[in-house]
Amino acid sequence: MIDVVVAGLETSVQDFPGRIGFWNQGFPPSGPFDSWSFRLANLLVGNPAGAAGLECQYVGPTLRFTEAAVIAVTGADMTPTLDSAPVPLWRSVAVEAGQTLKMGPAKFGTRAYIAIAGGIDTVPWLGSRSTFHKAGVGGLAGSALKKGSQIPVAYAAGTPGRSVKPECRPEFSSNKQWQIEVVPGPDDDWIDEAGQARFLGSDWKLSGKSDRTGFRLDGPQWTFTAKAYDKLPENGSEPSNIIDHGYPLGAINLAGQTPIILVSDGPSMGGFINPYTVPSAAFWKLGQSRPGDIYRFKAVSVDEAQALRRTLDALCSESSLA
Amino acid sequence: MIYEKPVFKPGGDRYMLIEFGDELNLALNFTAHSLGDAIAQSGMKAVIESAPCFASLLLHYEPDLISFSDLRREMVSLIDTLGSSAEIELPSRLFYFPTCYLDPWTKACVEDYSAKITPKKWDAEYVAEINGLSGPEQLVRVHSGTEYWVASLGFWPGLPFLMPLDPRSRLTAPKYNPPRTWTPQGTVGMGGAASAIYPVATPGGYQIFARIPIPIWDTERRFPEFEHSICLFKPGDRIKFVPCSVEEFKETEAQVAAGTYVYNVVGYQKFSVRQYSDWLATVDASKRF
Repeated sequence: MIDVVVAGLETSVQDFPGRIGFWNQGFPPSGPFDSWSFRLANLLVGNPAGAAGLECQYVGPTLRFTEAAVIAVTGADMTPTLDSAPVPLWRSVAVEAGQTLKMGPAKFGTRAYIAIAGGIDTVPWLGSRSTFHKAGVGGLAGSALKKGSQIPVAYAAGTPGRSVKPECRPEFSSNKQWQIEVVPGPDDDWIDEAGQARFLGSDWKLSGKSDRTGFRLDGPQWTFTAKAYDKLPENGSEPSNIIDHGYPLGAINLAGQTPIILVSDGPSMGGFINPYTVPSAAFWKLGQSRPGDIYRFKAVSVDEAQALRRTLDALCSESSLA
Repeated sequence: MIYEKPVFKPGGDRYMLIEFGDELNLALNFTAHSLGDAIAQSGMKAVIESAPCFASLLLHYEPDLISFSDLRREMVSLIDTLGSSAEIELPSRLFYFPTCYLDPWTKACVEDYSAKITPKKWDAEYVAEINGLSGPEQLVRVHSGTEYWVASLGFWPGLPFLMPLDPRSRLTAPKYNPPRTWTPQGTVGMGGAASAIYPVATPGGYQIFARIPIPIWDTERRFPEFEHSICLFKPGDRIKFVPCSVEEFKETEAQVAAGTYVYNVVGYQKFSVRQYSDWLATVDASKRF
């Protein structure tokens, strides 16, 4: 067991790729926002890359280990300490029974990941241990960690002292600017040329009204092609309205004039158009940014997005460890 | 219209949206479900899951196993094998829900939106007006005058996307701009020409003017209807909204809280596409209730 001394700001149990196979009933996958850092944390402690671990947001937790363990902390720098001694990031570390891991506010990046050798052993819900906060399911009693909670762990042997090669770690933005890849579609044909140029040529600020279901963006107005106006009434009369259809995860969903990136706990269907989609290989950047940060979008083809995914998957492997 | 050939559109590195048309039409919904079923039966490993909706099917695929263009080719040949939906007959449950139209809760939600986000006319008045109805009372008569077809589940776990089976009850409306940040649990609303029930308090974009007191998803499975799934509905079910008073709403709500509520659902009927089409041909869609 791990005792939760201080919960942090929405620390939750997640696994990768999450709750897959229920999109047609409306269940999102959940899972870690930055699967790059998450998977490497697991590999460091000898777990399968997708094993259940902890996602810490903005401010990390304080955890007391009742048993000896091997852990790794990756992602955002929350200046972790073990009984006051600094814990190196991107490295597997031995923890003795009774020791306390303390994490603070994120200095660099937004989300940190804690993997424990053997993985977190909560009861899976619909095949996954990922927490789906809004529905109160998965994870530890369906919610973020609470002070006094106990986290069950399936302890296993791990090797301390392993590290992720520096060139294999994600590089977080130091100036609050992020370049995010997007693939045009499925509904890019609803946006006129000027609108497409404006989307790709403008700064988009991540709004504070964002949560695990969607990242809202503030920026210029959208303009549309004739298709958005000349349509049957069952689409809805606003230009961004379309007959309800399935949403890709990562879609840039245009609700009226407000673009919302549909992230891990996002809706599976709805009646707004999705002119662009953030490919899976760029999700880690969303996870490591925070409200107020600026996004610039770069169009890539489906083939390029799939190549980025293969590159990322190759990085999330044993060969990245030293 | 129903497209002569389906349109295949990419969604990032791992999704494909297949559109069969751009209208609300039962035949398109059957095509979407038939293709989803055919993919599942084919055992294709490259397709992880599919999500059918009114006139389209979204595929989530594994790009390490198949390219977008190969997947499109496979889908074109699979679509060619699908039979006509004209002779389909399927078991279809019918749920009756006491429904409090023009209720105080959705009205308060709209007022809150008007005060905090952007001024807006009460949805019941607005939808009545843009559909040429005499007012909210006729809206209730028209909206409750038909059975609704559960075309798909999505947006939120268990949320049913509904289409009216009687064309005389067909209404259209734009979706909220910007969307609401919250909606009362059990709200019934409509957008485009579709209706929906909000399973829990979530954001939303539909026009809202009614509420049901009955859970349509239940992670605790307190009622026998949730034995096999925490979502009450499955595609192909039908729903009838039966107007009720605020008092009846509260009475039913108390029964739900006490665990004594009995779902009013009939399971002895089949839905025949042929009979539905024959009946549809006799109906004057321009007439309202």
